[in-house]
Amino acid sequence: MTAMKRVALTRWLAAAAAAIAFGQSAHAAVDVFACEPEWAALAREIGGDKVSVYQATTALQDPHRIEARPSLIAHTRAADLLVCTGAELEVGWLPVLMQTSGNGKIQVGQPGYFMASDFVAKLEVPKAVDRAQGDVHPYGNPHIQLDPRNIALVARALTERLAQIDHGNAAYYQARLKDFEGRWQKAIGGWETRAAPLKGMRLVPYHKDSAYLIHWLGMDEVIDVEPKPGIPPSAGYLAELLTKLQAQPADVITRAAYQDPKAVEWLSERTKIPAVMLPYTVGGTPQAKDLFTLFDDTIDRLLKARRPS
Amino acid sequence: MFRSNVVIFGIAAVLTAALPAAAQTPSNQDLEEIRKQIQELKESYESRIQALEKRLKEAEDSATKAQSTAAQAQESAAQAQQSAQSAAAPPPAQQASQSAFNPALSVILMGGYNNFSVNPANASVTGFLPAPLYGDALGPRGFSLQESEITAAASVDPYFRGQFTAAFEGDGSLSIEEAFFQTTALGNGLSVKGGRFFSSIGYENSVHSHAWDFKDPALVQTVFLGANFAETGLQLNWIAPTPLFIELGTEIGAGTTDPGLGLDTGFNRNGIPSWTAYAHVGDDIGTGGSYRVGASTLQTSTGNSPIPFADLDQTSGMTNLFSGDVRLYGLDFVYKWAPDGNPVDRNFKFVAEWWYREYAGNMTFDSATPAAAIQPFTARQQGWYAQGVYQFLPQWRVGLRYDRLNEGSISTAQVGVAAPDYTPWRAAAMLDWNLSEFSRIRLQVQQDRAQQGVVDNQVFVQYIMSLGSHGAHKF
Repeated sequence: MTAMKRVALTRWLAAAAAAIAFGQSAHAAVDVFACEPEWAALAREIGGDKVSVYQATTALQDPHRIEARPSLIAHTRAADLLVCTGAELEVGWLPVLMQTSGNGKIQVGQPGYFMASDFVAKLEVPKAVDRAQGDVHPYGNPHIQLDPRNIALVARALTERLAQIDHGNAAYYQARLKDFEGRWQKAIGGWETRAAPLKGMRLVPYHKDSAYLIHWLGMDEVIDVEPKPGIPPSAGYLAELLTKLQAQPADVITRAAYQDPKAVEWLSERTKIPAVMLPYTVGGTPQAKDLFTLFDDTIDRLLKARRPS
Repeated sequence: MFRSNVVIFGIAAVLTAALPAAAQTPSNQDLEEIRKQIQELKESYESRIQALEKRLKEAEDSATKAQSTAAQAQESAAQAQQSAQSAAAPPPAQQASQSAFNPALSVILMGGYNNFSVNPANASVTGFLPAPLYGDALGPRGFSLQESEITAAASVDPYFRGQFTAAFEGDGSLSIEEAFFQTTALGNGLSVKGGRFFSSIGYENSVHSHAWDFKDPALVQTVFLGANFAETGLQLNWIAPTPLFIELGTEIGAGTTDPGLGLDTGFNRNGIPSWTAYAHVGDDIGTGGSYRVGASTLQTSTGNSPIPFADLDQTSGMTNLFSGDVRLYGLDFVYKWAPDGNPVDRNFKFVAEWWYREYAGNMTFDSATPAAAIQPFTARQQGWYAQGVYQFLPQWRVGLRYDRLNEGSISTAQVGVAAPDYTPWRAAAMLDWNLSEFSRIRLQVQQDRAQQGVVDNQVFVQYIMSLGSHGAHKF
C-alpha cells in the first residue's frame, strides 16, 4: 500500500469515528419510524411534540410491497421506536431495514420494536398455511386499522411503550392518551350510530383488507376481487367473478387508492354494483386527513354507495 | 502485509469505540433483559385482557338489549357468538419479525432450457485472463437444473442473527454461498458480519442469482468477480446518522486468489490476502424515484499460489502462471421508479456498473515447458453494463441489457504477448411473467460476442420458484 492510500484510509477511519461520536448526541424528541400512515397519525396523537414522526409509506402505496429504499434505511437507523403493523404485513422490506440499519434499539424484543397487531385479536388466523391459498399470513389478517376499537387498544399499548422509552414524559403521554381516548370513544359511538344502516351491507373488496371494518360494522364480505391474496385477477377470473356476482348480488365493490381501479371499474360497469374507493388509511382520500376523518370518510363513502331501500 | 495490519487496526479501533454500548456487565444486562421481558409479557397480557373484557361487555350489552323481542334476541345471540368467536381467536403467539418459522427457511428452485447457436463448452472471453470457465457460467445446452438454494436465517440471541445459504448446482455439487453471523445490538449504525458472505462491493455482486433481473450476471461481473464474489472473513458496515443515506464498509478475509475464477486456490499463508472497501449514497427523488450510487474496491493477491492462465488468445494451449496483486475498482448506480412509489402495477429499474481491474506482478510464460520464462506483467482492463427493467403490467416485466468489456492494455517484456484487438460485448432482452410474488418464468434472448469471431445467439427459458418464508429483498 502506498503512503497516499494509507493516509486516505486513516482519514476515512477518523471520519467514521467522528461521525459515531456525533451520532451519540442526544435527541430532544423520540424519533418514531411509522411504517404506515395510520400509525404515524396515532404516534402524533399520543406523542404530541415530544415525538418526531417519520412516515415510511403513503396511503398510495401497498404496504405489502415496499422497496427497502436507501432513505428508509437512513431513517430506520435514526429511529428510537418502530411503530408498524407486524403480522408479516411488512415482511418483504422491514427485516432488510432492521438488519442494515445498525440500530440496536429497534431490533425484535427491544422496547423500540412495536408491532401494533400484537395488541389486538386478529381475524382470519389460518389453520394451515399453504401458499396455494396465495400470500396468506400465518398470524392472521394484518389489516387491523379499520376497526376503531383496535386503534384504541394500540393507542394504550403505544402510550405504555412511549413511557417506557421516554420515562421523563410518561405523564405527558398518559394525559394525551386520556384526551385521545375521550374523543375516540365518543367518535366510535357516533360512527356506530351513523353506520347502523350499513349493517348487512354486502361488500366485494379488492383485497382481503376490509375484514376488520366488515366485522366491526356487521357487514358481509361476499368475495374478493383478487382470486387469492396478492394475486391480481386475470381477465378469465374477472369473467368468472362477473357470473358469480350476477348469481349472488353484492352492494358495493371497494378498493384502496393504491389498488388497480381497472378491474374494479370493469366489474362495476357490468354488474351495476357501485364501485367505491375507500381511504383505508390516513391520506387515502382527500377527506381522510387524520384518524377521525379516516372513519368519517369511510362511513360517508359507504353510506353514499348504499342503494336506497 | 502492512496494509492488512492497517485494516485490522482500523477495524479493531472502530469496534472498541462501539462495543461499550453493547457490552455492559453481563449480569446487569441479563437483569435488564428479564425486566424487559416481564414488562412485555405484562403489557401484552394486559392488552389481551382488556380486549377480552371489552368484547365480553359488548356481548353482554347486546344480550341485554336482546330481551325485548325474540327476533332481536336471536340476532344478538348471533352477534355475541361472533364476538365470543373473535375474542377466542388464538392470541398472538410471538412477535413476528420475519416469519412464522424459526429459523425462517426458504428454498429456491431454478432451472430451464438453454439454446445456444454455438457450443458453450468452447465459449471464452477473448483477451481476458482468465476466462476458461465462461462456458460453465453460461450453462449446458437443453434442459438443465440451475442452482437450488436453501436459506435458513434467524436471530441467534439478542445480539446476533445468523444466515446460512447453500446452493446445490445442477450437477449435484454443493457450495456454501453464505454462512455468517451479523451483530444486531452494536448500535450507532454499526454492524459486523463474520463468516462467509457475498461482498457488498458493487451492486450485482451481493444479489443472489434468483433475484437477478436477467438469467445470467453481466459479463464484467462474471469475468471479474465470478457470479458472486464471497468474502470469508469479517465485514464492518456503518450507516451515517444523516437523513441522506450514507453507508461505508470494509471487509477483510481469505478472499479468493482470483475473484474471476471463483476458486479458492489456497493462499496458504498466515495473514489476510484480501480486503475491500465500499461507500454508498442514496436518497429519494420526488415521490416515486430513488437512487443509490456506490464506489468500491477489492484488493487481493495471489500469495504463494500463482493462478494458472490459459494463453491470452486461448488458441495455443499454453499455460502461464501469474503471481502478484489483483486490484479492482468499481462504480455502481441504481435508480428505481414507480408511480407514487407504489411498485405493484408498474415500476422501472435501471442499473449500471463499471469495473476496472489491474493485475500487477510476474507471469511465468509457458510454465509447463523447459522454455518457461518469468517476466514482469501488468494488465489493465475494464468492463461495464447498463440494464433497464420495466414492469408494464402487474405480472409482466421486460428488460434490456447491454454489457461489454474493454481489452485495455497488457504490458510485459515477453515477446509476442499483446492484448488482442477485440472488444467482447453482449446484448440481451428478457420478458418475465410473475404469477405471484413467489414464482417467475422468464424468456431471455441474447447475442453473445464475447469471443472474437464467434456470434452466439442464445435463448434461455428459466423458472424461479420460492418456497417457504417470505423473502425480503435489498434495494
